[in-house]
Amino acid sequence: MTVNESPSTTNIDASCRVPLLALFSGAALWLVVSSALAVLASLSFHMPGKFGDIPFLTYGRVQPAADDALLYGFCIPAGLGVLLWIFARLGQVPLRGGIVPVVAAHLWHLGVLAGVVGILAGESTGFTWLEFPRGAAALLFVAYLLLALWAFMNFTGRRAGGLFPSHWFFVAALFVFPWIYSVAQLLLIGAPVRGVVQSAVAWWYGGNLVFLWTSLIGLGAAFYFLPKFSGRPLHSYFYALFAFWTLLLFGSLSGIPAGAPLPAWMPALSALNSLLLIVPILAIAVIGWKTVMGGAVQTCKGGSYCMIKFGFVAFLLSALLLVAGACPQVSRITQFTWFSAAQTQLHLYGFLCITLFGAIYYILPRAVGRDFAFPRLIRLQHWCSMLGIFLLVVSLAAGGLLQGIKLHDAGAAFDDSTRAMLPFLRTSTMGLLLMLLANLLFALNLLTLLFLWHLSVIKTVVGAALAPLGKTGVKA
Amino acid sequence: MSDENSSPKSGTEPTAARSHLPMWTLVVLLTLLYLGGIYFDHHSGWFDRQVYAPFDNAAQLDAYQPKSGAAAALAAGKKSYESVCGTCHGNDGIGKAGQAPQLAGSEYVITRGFNRLAHIPLAGINGPIKVAGKDWNMAMAAMGMALSDADLANVLTYIRGSWGNKAGEVTAEDIKAIRASLGARPQAMTAETLQALPE
Amino acid sequence: MKNGFVIFLSVATVLLLSWGALVLAPQMQLGGARQVPVLNSTDVYPLARPGTAAQGLQVYRANGCAACHTEQVQQDGVACDVVLLAAGKNPSAVSNLLATLKLTGLDEGSALSASDRIAAAGGKVETRIRATGSDIARGWGLRHSVAEDFLYDYPVALGSLRVGPDLADVGRRLPDPNWQLQHLYAPRSLVKGSVMPPFRYLFETRKIGAVPSPDALNLPAEFAPAVGYEVVPKPEAQQLVAYLMSLHTDVPLYNAPFTPPAPLKP
Repeated sequence: MTVNESPSTTNIDASCRVPLLALFSGAALWLVVSSALAVLASLSFHMPGKFGDIPFLTYGRVQPAADDALLYGFCIPAGLGVLLWIFARLGQVPLRGGIVPVVAAHLWHLGVLAGVVGILAGESTGFTWLEFPRGAAALLFVAYLLLALWAFMNFTGRRAGGLFPSHWFFVAALFVFPWIYSVAQLLLIGAPVRGVVQSAVAWWYGGNLVFLWTSLIGLGAAFYFLPKFSGRPLHSYFYALFAFWTLLLFGSLSGIPAGAPLPAWMPALSALNSLLLIVPILAIAVIGWKTVMGGAVQTCKGGSYCMIKFGFVAFLLSALLLVAGACPQVSRITQFTWFSAAQTQLHLYGFLCITLFGAIYYILPRAVGRDFAFPRLIRLQHWCSMLGIFLLVVSLAAGGLLQGIKLHDAGAAFDDSTRAMLPFLRTSTMGLLLMLLANLLFALNLLTLLFLWHLSVIKTVVGAALAPLGKTGVKA
Repeated sequence: MSDENSSPKSGTEPTAARSHLPMWTLVVLLTLLYLGGIYFDHHSGWFDRQVYAPFDNAAQLDAYQPKSGAAAALAAGKKSYESVCGTCHGNDGIGKAGQAPQLAGSEYVITRGFNRLAHIPLAGINGPIKVAGKDWNMAMAAMGMALSDADLANVLTYIRGSWGNKAGEVTAEDIKAIRASLGARPQAMTAETLQALPE
Repeated sequence: MKNGFVIFLSVATVLLLSWGALVLAPQMQLGGARQVPVLNSTDVYPLARPGTAAQGLQVYRANGCAACHTEQVQQDGVACDVVLLAAGKNPSAVSNLLATLKLTGLDEGSALSASDRIAAAGGKVETRIRATGSDIARGWGLRHSVAEDFLYDYPVALGSLRVGPDLADVGRRLPDPNWQLQHLYAPRSLVKGSVMPPFRYLFETRKIGAVPSPDALNLPAEFAPAVGYEVVPKPEAQQLVAYLMSLHTDVPLYNAPFTPPAPLKP
């Protein structure tokens, strides 16, 4: 293909096919594994005595494995896949060197496998969000670098000149992860720092990954798809840049929780920056409002557009919960309760995962050139996801508040706070079950598509015998 | 495929409007910066490594250090001990070879009462003496004469309560009585005269 | 390319700022921390955990205990109590004065003026400083947690969720290793309605040999193994309990001052 030839949209989509299938299918599997593990962990609150003889089913191992499988297994690879496709589309350049991102995608999923098995086997490092043992972390790092490099090369080689706000968000996300991951691995695992500095590093990493990185990816995708679906231009470039800067600056400093046993200035600095997050939240809300509302309003019909709108609202809510939870008056009650778990779940699943579902449902049929086998299930999945995350977040947040009030009341026995929480935890299991169902439906659609595509490739291969295979390789 | 595919512009790439940022975003930003700045000023301890919540600053932390009662006596005693006694007996109480015997675990320190111990700084001591199994033959001036009753009581309390010593408190009134009994120019003690005193 | 470079530079600047504030600055301030003196004593703090306790921290890590337990005591404030030690020569004046004064839960300034007034009347007083807050009232600790408490730990297991109680000072609070072992094996045999998972896999149920093991747990009938069998802790359980026993943060430090509850008395 010569440089001057303008590739058609179909060519661009097709160039992403194999890497996206590799990234998304692995991600879908991890999504199911994650919610299955989360349900398993939640069962501890229904029958706490059941798994006492089996080390790898104990709550303290299953819960972090579920969290990490969601973030590292689904959010990051799926986010990178969406990013690759949007870069290729925005820059009007096909993704080149198809084999490297495919290998990187498999390497990534292998790393997650090693990590999750490691946690269940008791090899966790003990640092929140960094539980994966050393070997798994190395695989993840190499895989991410390769994927990021390919994405960045596609970005620099783009044909359509100007920058779209999504570019800013995505390029920042590409850089953020290798930087925070290498620093955290070095200072916590490689050459560990002493004492409570470990916790400071882990909180810095956690804040930057779980809030900042996810927000950059999810908003980058939302800012691409919202104007696309609403048929109106994004409102506006400068709002988005302002949101980008303030989010990056304040979000990257907001990781240290209020009660930390660190000199007062560190939690105070993080509380200050969390408060300032109100500014980007407002700006982002305005962007969403003015892009989607007004003029001829396009209604959503239960597909990608609905999901991305839902994810966008979930972002606003979760970011507001984060700000509220950082206020000293509130954090005094909510610290050490399920409240912050509710915020994290809303952010990771309600915002990022659902946004990515919407994006993947849009992208994958185009990249593969084939419809999903069960289009009706998309709508069902959306409802299950929404209801599930709603039940989960509302029960954890309300229960967390109640638990916090009991915890903060010296007159109440500690057991009261646990007992007050139990009905809420049991309700949250229902939410988790709905999410498991939703994730199974998602995986079913996606893996059926993968299977049908494999089938068609094999048919082509058999049919054409020794004839050349076309632009895309058969390696999957 | 999902319903959105039929949307008119789904094939084209999205664009961004170029309208500028309204003033109110900056106003909100500055207001929050101001409020947050006040909060940080009040609660951060301004990067002092010793200030943890719930303390707001170093002055407040300083004000809440224990300073009366037994704890304060120990603190004051430590200070005087380290400036007057520590140079020979060591800040760690294990003594220094050729200068002064140890105080940690010394049979003259961990007695039930403190009458003998109090006589040493008030009258001085010389001649051969056996401390914790080691023989010494040195002279010590009446170092305690220069200290006030309260100061000396604190020093002795500190000596009797530190480095593993677990003997009791010494009060200023007791020192005052012992000092009065010794008169203005007391005779330096020896091991024998010390042993002759009640504990 | 040029635009990409601009984004890269700007992102790098912001990330460096965040790294400097939340990684580099804490490391410079606390990374070289040493033992510190215990207030009004010649002891230093902290001491390294004994070998089995250090191994126990690894058991704590491997089983994710920090998923449900924190090790960070919160303190809401600090209060002074003025305590009369001796009435002195004029007991009636002192007791009259005491009746008019508020003596507990004072701030530092009013504690000072109260103790000055009592001292002027001839009474001997002590001002005792204590931490306040719900964690302290529950007995989870005597003061808030500080960086020194974790100086020798790897990994530092602060935790973030209190499904179970805080463990920062559990070695002082629940000092009986046998209680701890039984609680690990069967939490509900000691705490009714506990949601803690039992850690039976840290124990071995075996046939009683010629002589019953001295380490065997003394379990209530409901939780006991079959007749002729005994439950013996594996080394991991012993190490974990040794770690829990080593969790003591009950000493006053400059950055976390309080008056110890048992003062030095003859």
